[in-house]
Amino acid sequence: MNQKKTEEEYGYDLFPERNEGKQNTTSFKESIQTFNHKCKFMLQVAMETSPYAKLLLTAMKSSGCKVLKERHFSCEDCDGTVSGGFDAASSQIVLCQNNIHQQSHMNRVVAHELIHAFDHCRAHVDWFNNFRHLACSEIRAANLSGDCSFVSEVSRFNFGLKKHQQECVRGRALRSILAVRKITREEAERMVDSVFDSCFNDHAPFGRIPHGKKDAKFAHRDYTNRDHYYKNL
Amino acid sequence: MLFDLAMDRPVATTWMPPRACEDYWSEFRHCKSFMNRFHQYYAYGSVPSCHQWKEDYNNCREWKKSRSTETQEALQRSERKRVAEQKNFDPVWELRCEPPKDWHLPLNQDNTQDS
Repeated sequence: MNQKKTEEEYGYDLFPERNEGKQNTTSFKESIQTFNHKCKFMLQVAMETSPYAKLLLTAMKSSGCKVLKERHFSCEDCDGTVSGGFDAASSQIVLCQNNIHQQSHMNRVVAHELIHAFDHCRAHVDWFNNFRHLACSEIRAANLSGDCSFVSEVSRFNFGLKKHQQECVRGRALRSILAVRKITREEAERMVDSVFDSCFNDHAPFGRIPHGKKDAKFAHRDYTNRDHYYKNL
Repeated sequence: MLFDLAMDRPVATTWMPPRACEDYWSEFRHCKSFMNRFHQYYAYGSVPSCHQWKEDYNNCREWKKSRSTETQEALQRSERKRVAEQKNFDPVWELRCEPPKDWHLPLNQDNTQDS
């Protein structure tokens, strides 16, 4: 396969450090080192304190994909405004150290990418060839990570109320697909529409759409209790 | 009821409510809260009905007192309905029987570009 064509087709050009084979190497420039340290620190905080991340990490471990910080996360510089990505080929979550500057943002990105990783772990997701699969995982990630919470949307000056979450999820899934795949907007919209109802209602592993920390904590409680729950159903 | 075949006497089954009774109550309180009602309207365009959580809480407490079959069955019915609601969609992909084989492989060994 033509290397350059592959890179652009699958969005790898957004993550230039991946292609140069850099893995966790420290750069000479102090500012990049600082960004790298800050990214790693915020990642650690997210993994330890975000109820979204904690549930996803527990679920992944139970599914046979224990997440190791050093192996499965990589803090890198990225192009444009992209915040992160999931690379199925290397089983790694990329965090864009130059574009994530607040802990709340890191928490959301970690949750979002862990949802992709969780889908990869529990299902035969054909990331590279099946746009419906890609659309489905993007819908789930936008829906369940807090990306489309009321507060997040208001901070983007997107004011909407009744069923606005669905509009937001649709829009963000569309954006994510268009950022990493060379297809037309119309085609991407058709893909999203074709799987929306199914994927908007697939809430695994949360069991509900977590609208905030309390929902996520309740979801974690339910997940921890699942063996007892199903035994007594 | 299970029968211990060796001893020829009934062995008590160990059914328990699927959730702790306090969990039903905390779900009910959470369901009724302003923030939750707001978020349900924001996500679904409608306000949730929360009475089922309260009913489940009452049945749970009643079961603890009386161990009655009616309360057990009511709780089981309610929870099975919840599980069915969560599964009410056609999956887009096939679930795996095993995790991906390359998840734990060290880096630089699984970049085969075969997928």
